[in-house]
Order: sequence, then structure tokens, then C-alpha cells
Amino acid sequence: MRTLSLLICLLAIALPAHAEKGHVHGEGSLEVVIDKGRLSLRLELPLDVAVGFERAPRSDKERAALAAAQQALADPALFVPTPAAGCKPEPVRIAMPTFDGNKPAAHADIDAAYEFSCATPAALKSVETTIFKSFKRLYRLDARRAGPTGQGAGRLTPKNPVLAW
Amino acid sequence: MKAVLRLAALSAWSRRLTLGLTLVAIALAVTLLLAVERIRTDARQSFTQSVSGVDLVVGARTGGVQLMLYAVFHAGAASNNIGWESYRALASHPAVDWALPLSLGDSHRGFAVLGTSADYFSRFRFGDREALRWREGKAFAGVFEAVLGSEVAQGLGYRLDDKVTLSHGLVEHGPEHGDKPFRVVGILAATGTPVDRTVLVSLESISALHLDWIGGAPLPGVAIPAEFVAKFDLRPKEITAALVGLKQRSDVFRMQRFINQYRGEPLLAVLPGVALDELWQAVAMVERTLLAISALVVLIGLAGLAATLLAGLNERRRELAILRALGAGPGRIFLMLTVEGVLVTTAGALLGLGLLTVGSGLAAPWLLERFGVVLATRLPGSQELALLGGVIATGLLASLVPGWRAWRMSLADGLTPRN
Repeated sequence: MRTLSLLICLLAIALPAHAEKGHVHGEGSLEVVIDKGRLSLRLELPLDVAVGFERAPRSDKERAALAAAQQALADPALFVPTPAAGCKPEPVRIAMPTFDGNKPAAHADIDAAYEFSCATPAALKSVETTIFKSFKRLYRLDARRAGPTGQGAGRLTPKNPVLAW
Repeated sequence: MKAVLRLAALSAWSRRLTLGLTLVAIALAVTLLLAVERIRTDARQSFTQSVSGVDLVVGARTGGVQLMLYAVFHAGAASNNIGWESYRALASHPAVDWALPLSLGDSHRGFAVLGTSADYFSRFRFGDREALRWREGKAFAGVFEAVLGSEVAQGLGYRLDDKVTLSHGLVEHGPEHGDKPFRVVGILAATGTPVDRTVLVSLESISALHLDWIGGAPLPGVAIPAEFVAKFDLRPKEITAALVGLKQRSDVFRMQRFINQYRGEPLLAVLPGVALDELWQAVAMVERTLLAISALVVLIGLAGLAATLLAGLNERRRELAILRALGAGPGRIFLMLTVEGVLVTTAGALLGLGLLTVGSGLAAPWLLERFGVVLATRLPGSQELALLGGVIATGLLASLVPGWRAWRMSLADGLTPRN
């Protein structure tokens, strides 16, 4: 029992509370749910990753950058489920951060929700993303998944942009 | 050819001590390599098998892995409890299909005692969504009734209607709840999960045990006899953790956020499968290091084999020269040396596999007790076979060196008289 406690202590040191991911620049998070014929993805991207600043836009250039990021995220082809599953994308919902006047903002995230309806959900085995091509400042996407085959976690990177299960 | 093989075998036999020691070194190295691989895969397997069909594990705010360890594996201790009111609020949330309260902290002769509701026996799932099965008896219905996991019953020799006494805390010789013995009403069939090493009682029993206790010790001068506890309010005030199943899987992340931001008290909800994957991500580096070290040990063993064969060449100059003089070509000599090396490697690998099987059989009960890891005795998996193949291939490469040296030796090499 003592050895076990030691192991637990080591783990407790090695692993801080993971449940609520903080805001880390360069890292986004992705929640993946497969329920019956629906594949739902929820993406949270630090604004910094998308446009390079985390405050209200101050120039036309920055406003254009925000609009470009929103447009890039609105493309459902950003995520590619297993082709064999026959998933059809539905309109993307995007929540851009709102800026409160001239108050210096703390952190800001963009939330985007991607929904697919899949003809053969049993064939759904992976989701690939092209998001790293659109957002060069993004170096990691921490993915968490819940589906009929169980739950899991994965790490998507520019070199490994596939979440498979 | 036959004659050459016979001579080669006899020659190897005459060098049995050095070859034997090399073989033992290779066998031990292979055992180490395979053991690292097997413990790695089996640990994952048994952790993953331990909980199934649970959407969220909820506890007080600590680390996600810590919460998993005590709520699911009954290992370690909770830093804090969650209030019964919070649990009630959570269990009656519209998105929640079912919830199982878990109350830990007492033990029986080294086995964890789990206070829960009787629903546990119908709701709990392990492995591939398998339900708990009864070996004999039934679920607890009243206070001071206990259900035993298969290993508790077997290890301590309990049968139905036996009396067991629980101890306070998780140490084996903690203060006893001697005045309130439990009657065994049911014994579960083996599951290969931590449930096997658990004594299950109702939450009310846990409250009843601690009626006349305060701050982890009996109240001096106060003793409430077992027959009077029913007169008290036995509703639990707090529990350690809860397992939650949702009506719809798509609510799981939303529900997790809701619990993590719960206003009543600081709570933590984790998705068990996600928490385990994150644990594997965190220990992957350690695993890779261990695997690399044991692969190095195998390399050292094989280098030893090559060195032994090379050193043997000098002693065998005369022998090899006579073989050549008798008509064995250089190719045949090369083959003889290489085959000898490969055979020693293969024998070492097989011996290593045998040692692993015997060793894992011996270590399995200890691993299960200490770490909750079920080490299965089974045929080597594909990964292990790949490792064995790699070892033999490397052995072949290492044996090519002495083979090549022998090939290069001139015909007359061993025949010239020594000075």
C-alpha cells in the first residue's frame, strides 16, 4: 500500500488538475462527441492564436484579421471525419469574443461548433483537421472524446493532425 | 553437411559453459524487455477494464487522476468529501440518468470498504459493459449487512452469514468498529477489477458505524449499541465521490462544465476514459525510457554473444582448420558460426519467454494487491512477438561478425605450427 501511495503522490505532482483547461497561448481545445448519428465538435481557440492579439481591434488591419479568422473557422471542411462514415456538415456556429469598450481585456477565446450528421456512424473512426494550415500560431489542439466505444484523449499537432480511436 | 552439423553440435557442447552463460544473459535480458512491455499493456488493460459506461466521475476538487484513483481503483485517499446535498442536487439534475454515491475510508483487513447504494449492483459496469454477477447471496438491504468482492471472500475464507468487523481508516490495524459487526449477505463473482478487493456496504451502515465517533476516534463514554442505531438519522452527511451516467452522451462536456462551476461547493468532474488517456500521455515518456533501457540490456547481451563467439575463434583455430582440411568450404564455416549464434539467441529468447511466464505467474498476486494491475498469463501478444523477432534478428546480425571473421581466416591459419 505504501508503494502505491508513493505512485499516487508522484502522479499527483506530475498531473495538475486536468479537468478545466486554462487559457494557454498556442494551444486550443477540442471536444468531440459521437452520439447516435451525430458527430459534434466544439473548438476553443485562444484569440491570440487566430489573430495575434487578445483585445479589441485597433486598426482596420486588425479588424480585417478578425474577420478573416472568423471566415476561416466558418469552413466545415476544417474537420474531416472518416469518409466511410458518410458525414454531412451542418452550418458552423461561431462565437467571437466580445470586447467591453476600452477595458484592457484579460484573455479571449473564439468558440466554434461543428456538427455533422453521419449515415454510418459505426464506420466513424477518426477526425482529421486542416486547422494547422490556416492558423500557423496554433501548435497543439488538446482533444477529448466521448463516443459509443468509450472516452479518450488525444493531442493533435501540425505533424499529427488526426484524432483516431 | 550432416557431418559438419554433428561436429558443430559437438563443438558447441564442448564450449557449453561459456555458451550457456551467454544464453542465460540473453534470456534475462529478453525477460526484462518482455516484462516491461507486458506490464505496460496489462496495466492499461486492467485500468481501462475497471470502469465502463460511466460518463462522469465526480469528487471534491483535486487532480483528475487522483479522483480516478480513489473513486474507481480505491487506491489512495480523498483529500476532501462532497456534501450529500450537492450529491442530491447532482443526481436529480435533468440531464442525469443515474448516479451512484461512493463513500470510502474504512477497511477490512487491508481491503477497502465501499459505502454505496444498492443500485450499485445493477448499475455498475466493467470491461465491455459487463454487469456484476452474484456468486451467492444477494445485495445488502439493511444496516450492518455486507457484500464481499470475490477476492475478499476467497482470501479471508468468508461464507454467507459470517460476521466481519470493519476498521476505521485504511491501515490494517486501525481502530476497530468492533461493537458493530457486519453479516455477509452476498458474494460477487470475480471481475478482475478493484471490485474483487472491496467490501460493499450501504451508506447508512457507514453512518451508523460512525454515530458514536468524532474526529476519527470513538467518543469516550458514548457507545450506541448496534440495535439502537435505527433510531438515529442515518442519512449520510457527505460522500467521497459519485459515478454519474447521463441520459444523452452529447451532454457530457456541458455537464462537466456545470459540475466544475457548481456554486454550492468546489467540485471536480472528470470523464474517466479521458483522465486515463491523459495519465498514459503523462507516463508515456517513462514507459519509452524503460523500454529503451531494456532494449539496451538486450543489445549488451547480444554484444556479449558476439564477443564470446569471436573470442572462441582463437581457441578454435585448429578445429576450424581441420574442418577446412576435411573439405568444408569457407561458406560452410561462415554458416556454422552464424547458425550457432542465431540458435543461442533463439534459445535465449525462448528461455526468456519461459522465465516471463513463470515470473508473471509468481508476481501476479502481488501486482494485483499492490497496484490493482491484473497480469494475465497468456500467449505472447503481437507486440511481444515483434520484440522477440527483433531480438533474434539482432542476434543474427551480431553472429555475422564472428562468421565473417572465420570465413576470412586462411586455410592454413590453424595448421601452422606454433612458435
